[in-house]
Amino acid sequence: MANATTPARRTTAVRMSALERLPIRRIILTVLSVAIAAFVIVGSYKTLTLPAGEAYTWDTWRGIIVRGVSQGAIFALIALGYTLVYGILRMINFAHGEVFMMGAFTSFFFADAYAKSGFLNRSPVTALLIIFAVAVATSVGVAVLLERVAYRPLRNAPRLVPLITAIGASLFLQQTARGFFGTNTQGYPRPEVLDGTWTILGFPVDRIRVVVLVVSLISMGILQYIVARTKTGKSMRAVAEDQEIASLMGIDVNRVVVKTFVIGGILAGIAGVLFALTFESVNFFMGVRPGISAFTAAVLGGIGSIGGAALGGFTLGVLQAVGPPLLLTGFNVPSPFQLEDVVTFSVLVLVLIFRPGGLLGSGEAEKV
Amino acid sequence: MSAILEIDGVHKRFGGVSALAGLDVSVNEGEILSVIGPNGAGKSTMFNVITGLYGPDQGDIRFRGESIVGLLPHQVTKLGIARTFQSVHLFPNMTVLENAMVGQHTRTRSGVFGSILRLPRTRREEERIRERAREALGFFGSRLAGYRQEQPAFSLSYANRRRLEMARALATDPAVIMLDEPTAGMNPRETLELRDHIVRMRDRLGLTVLVIEHDMRVVKGVSDRVVACDYGQKIAEGTYDEVAHDDRVIEAYLGTKAVG
Amino acid sequence: MNPRRLIFAGLIGGIAVIYLGLVGLLAKFAERNLIGELVTGSRAMVAAAAFCAGYVATRPRVVAGELQRVDGARAGAAGALVGATSGALVGLSVVFVDWFGLDRIRDIFVGVSPDLLDFLSFGLSIWAAVGVLTVAGAIFGGLGGAFRSLDPAIRRPLGNAVVITLLMALLQRIVPVAMQEVGLDPDWLYSPVTGGLTWIGAAVVFLVSLGLSVAWMRRGDRVRASVRTITQEQPSAKVAAAAIVIGLLALIPVLLGTVVSDVLGTAMIFLLLAIGLNIVVGYAGLLDLGYVAFFGFGAYTTALLTGATLNTTTGAAAPAISLDLNFYVAIPIVVMLAAGAGVLIGAPVLRLRGDYLAIVTLGLGEMVSILITSNWLAPLVGGPQGMRDVTDAAIGGFGFREPHHFFYLALAFVAIAIFVSWRLASSRIGRAWNAMREDEQVADAMGISTTRFKLLAFAMGGAIGSLGGALLGVKLGSLTPASFEYIVSITVLSIVILGGMGSIPGVVVGALVLIGLPGLLREFEEYRQLIYGAVLVAIMILRPQGLIPNVRRSRELHEEDRAQDKWASDLSGDEDVAAPLTPLGEGAG
Repeated sequence: MANATTPARRTTAVRMSALERLPIRRIILTVLSVAIAAFVIVGSYKTLTLPAGEAYTWDTWRGIIVRGVSQGAIFALIALGYTLVYGILRMINFAHGEVFMMGAFTSFFFADAYAKSGFLNRSPVTALLIIFAVAVATSVGVAVLLERVAYRPLRNAPRLVPLITAIGASLFLQQTARGFFGTNTQGYPRPEVLDGTWTILGFPVDRIRVVVLVVSLISMGILQYIVARTKTGKSMRAVAEDQEIASLMGIDVNRVVVKTFVIGGILAGIAGVLFALTFESVNFFMGVRPGISAFTAAVLGGIGSIGGAALGGFTLGVLQAVGPPLLLTGFNVPSPFQLEDVVTFSVLVLVLIFRPGGLLGSGEAEKV
Repeated sequence: MSAILEIDGVHKRFGGVSALAGLDVSVNEGEILSVIGPNGAGKSTMFNVITGLYGPDQGDIRFRGESIVGLLPHQVTKLGIARTFQSVHLFPNMTVLENAMVGQHTRTRSGVFGSILRLPRTRREEERIRERAREALGFFGSRLAGYRQEQPAFSLSYANRRRLEMARALATDPAVIMLDEPTAGMNPRETLELRDHIVRMRDRLGLTVLVIEHDMRVVKGVSDRVVACDYGQKIAEGTYDEVAHDDRVIEAYLGTKAVG
Repeated sequence: MNPRRLIFAGLIGGIAVIYLGLVGLLAKFAERNLIGELVTGSRAMVAAAAFCAGYVATRPRVVAGELQRVDGARAGAAGALVGATSGALVGLSVVFVDWFGLDRIRDIFVGVSPDLLDFLSFGLSIWAAVGVLTVAGAIFGGLGGAFRSLDPAIRRPLGNAVVITLLMALLQRIVPVAMQEVGLDPDWLYSPVTGGLTWIGAAVVFLVSLGLSVAWMRRGDRVRASVRTITQEQPSAKVAAAAIVIGLLALIPVLLGTVVSDVLGTAMIFLLLAIGLNIVVGYAGLLDLGYVAFFGFGAYTTALLTGATLNTTTGAAAPAISLDLNFYVAIPIVVMLAAGAGVLIGAPVLRLRGDYLAIVTLGLGEMVSILITSNWLAPLVGGPQGMRDVTDAAIGGFGFREPHHFFYLALAFVAIAIFVSWRLASSRIGRAWNAMREDEQVADAMGISTTRFKLLAFAMGGAIGSLGGALLGVKLGSLTPASFEYIVSITVLSIVILGGMGSIPGVVVGALVLIGLPGLLREFEEYRQLIYGAVLVAIMILRPQGLIPNVRRSRELHEEDRAQDKWASDLSGDEDVAAPLTPLGEGAG
């Protein structure tokens, strides 16, 4: 081969075989979707046709769904933080789950003190307002600090750099909470008013679930108003569209970014208290799984889209609650509820493969 | 002369915009075919559709008589169609030589085990890759020779980046090379030099050359045939003089339509 | 010098110290002597905070287009102001704690202990402590400022010498043992009473490292050049060097005893993982946050193939499926299976954009850890209780469970992994990975099947990761899901990032530092993860190319530095530029 033959002659022999022409990816995806559909159909069928003694009652299902919706509301609140930051900076603020945890954990000390002094049950509304305020203040502080220290210096770095930083920051915050507040899981007090059930449409529903849903919906409504109607919202949308142009139009990009983190922090703080009230406990590790679930919710709805985050949150909450018992019980899988997060991750993977833009978005996540 | 590459009624839409609207172009083996047309005429889209960056919505593309629609870019390259990009795309942090060596990728086959064990065959192949890459760089004479080959590509001058991109395409041992505005941003002397290089690609290397070019002196100097496009369609075809005096071409460039 | 900025820097330094106190590090290291009884770990940290604050605050700044350096005396004074501010803030926080009530604060911040208060007040009255802290802060801050104004020819060796001395002090659990093993008397260097360096020892270490550092600065280039020519002209020199290194490594367990061998064994497992992940992250540029999946896969598959016992509530049981193969027969099977798993996992998700890929892999990793904990797979892998009686990979009765035996097995595996990864990097495959990492679309257009090479990276990474899992089984003899949590993925990532993406020597150093050091000083153990988090953030911000960078990779990570170059900025990272409508070359169209 030492002598240079002309290139044209070298390549005449090359032919694509039929095998090489196969669209392998499409085949894999088709097989995958058929398998999943089969699994879902067979699993649900088997579960729903179990003999009366083993099957879940309608009351159980309703309880599961209510749990899912209320859980979904919390996911939606956290997911909004991911989606806002992503919309503006095109980065995944991986430490957002820790922002949520920090708010919940700090508010615990106030809640605990109020419970001990009896203030929490004497005037629950005032006490809860203070508790929410503390959580929100902490979460906002952490979020802003995070932006200033960890993310701002990397605004123009290659994409994976801020993501790695965010992962590090997430671990750092989590371990800081561990060092500050200790490794114990603390029992989060709940005002007695929120124990028990209310009867809604003739069905008993846990009070706390109702409160979670109502508070989340109000918060989301306010956020929607801010983004759609106020000047802050307008500048946020402008920066999300094109940072450079927005700054040329006289918008202070840094301020808008900080405001975005502030809003994300507020929502995370609220979500933190709601989560703590629901499960009556806090620990330094509590931000991880809800964080990932919320991120999944944001992707599911279409990351960057506010409505999408809300929709994704509720959808994922219900899927997580209903999925394992519905699909797995029929296959005799023991304790299907342990596999809740498997649902989260499966949903995440499947959404990204089949509909990378999410339920409401366009196909942005895929290259070319 | 037989057609080596045929573009047959290709449509490509992006959203509401029709980039290619039934384009028919036929490239004969061993010729230099220039594609001209105002900005937005769909010239680069044509290249991208040929190389498999996106599939056509409609129509067929045949290389040596076989359809290449649906193939991935690397498969198209393997068949023997190489290209350069309108805005230069090198591997900026790899050395000049390595850039050219990447071109040989599809002509070589060393796998995991060969590479780990460094079998004699692998070593011979690596030697051949290196030699072929040097040869491809050598096509531009002293421009990409010597110490420059060990420098990262980003350190090259603009004109040399364009040359390196062409050398990398040559290193894929193509039958057809597609150049997207090769002289853009070059000074007159460099442009002149490049004109000779394009001609030499045909004469010395026996390649079929498909070139998108705005500089009419270059088009005139190199082309066996010229195809003019506008609105994603072919509006004229023939020798340079025929096309240059075609009314529709003149209208496309100077007429009522906005240029650029 | 703007006094407001100096005071701000001082406050940051003070907050850093308060942070260290709150998080518990100061109390933890208060008893760890480094040099004599005066320099303890905690004191070194507090002094370092003031020193660094003074050093950073006096860095040269660009004012009106001119780089302004600060001269010695003024820098010293500025540094002293910075340090004094830090010290005063810390002192005032002590006063606050005293006033508010230690117990009430301790209800929230568990780290605020009487020990911490004792440490920060030096056993003096509260206000006297404020004075001492302020003065000490001023001294160290001033030193920091003065250090900044030194000529680099003096500053660098001096800095190296201080760092090396502190490092030697931190190695107090290894070096004396090693010296004793070879028959040297360590007592002059390390005090048997305090545990740390003696003052004489510290002085000797300091002077020797100072001398070596100066010599290296003067002659280093020449030495490096001649080493390069020797290794280039005589390939046998390379072989000889490798033989010497391997010989020295083989002596380590003999010299350093069980404790160190044990720590090094763990470090080797993580090194192996890091070499694998380096292929995925460093070579192919794919961020994999679920790497632990391969680790777990390797561990459990090896255990099942070679036979093990499940831990159950009723005692023991045999796994649902299990073979009884020899360890060395099982390993190739495990590696092939892991590579296959890598391909299967990768195939559907590899076309995702980088950050999405990271999250998806994280999800896949978490799924593995949920599944091995679940009741569902308990009959196969033992659920939360895991399994025991995992093979010790014995060859003719020579088992590898003993730490100093295990070291050799791990060393062999690591050597193979390094060899494989180095050969791959310097081949046609490595070149394809490089091209793909730099510009995926162009690599595709140049004939590289990016899907195939991404899958290959996943498969190679997975194969090496599974080896790490197999080793873990040999080392521990038992497996529980606790060993395969998310944090493992992050630990391995931290090693790769700290060392430098794509750099094998970097990865080695990273593993030794991040796994070895905390293993040797028990005080670090609790703060391991905190340190990993801090490392990831700090490296990405300050030195994204890592400690020992891969040349090319470091250029990529600094692409923004060349952004004034239009051509470079067109290419740099932001994929949104290449939105679907205008992927390549469509520029003006």
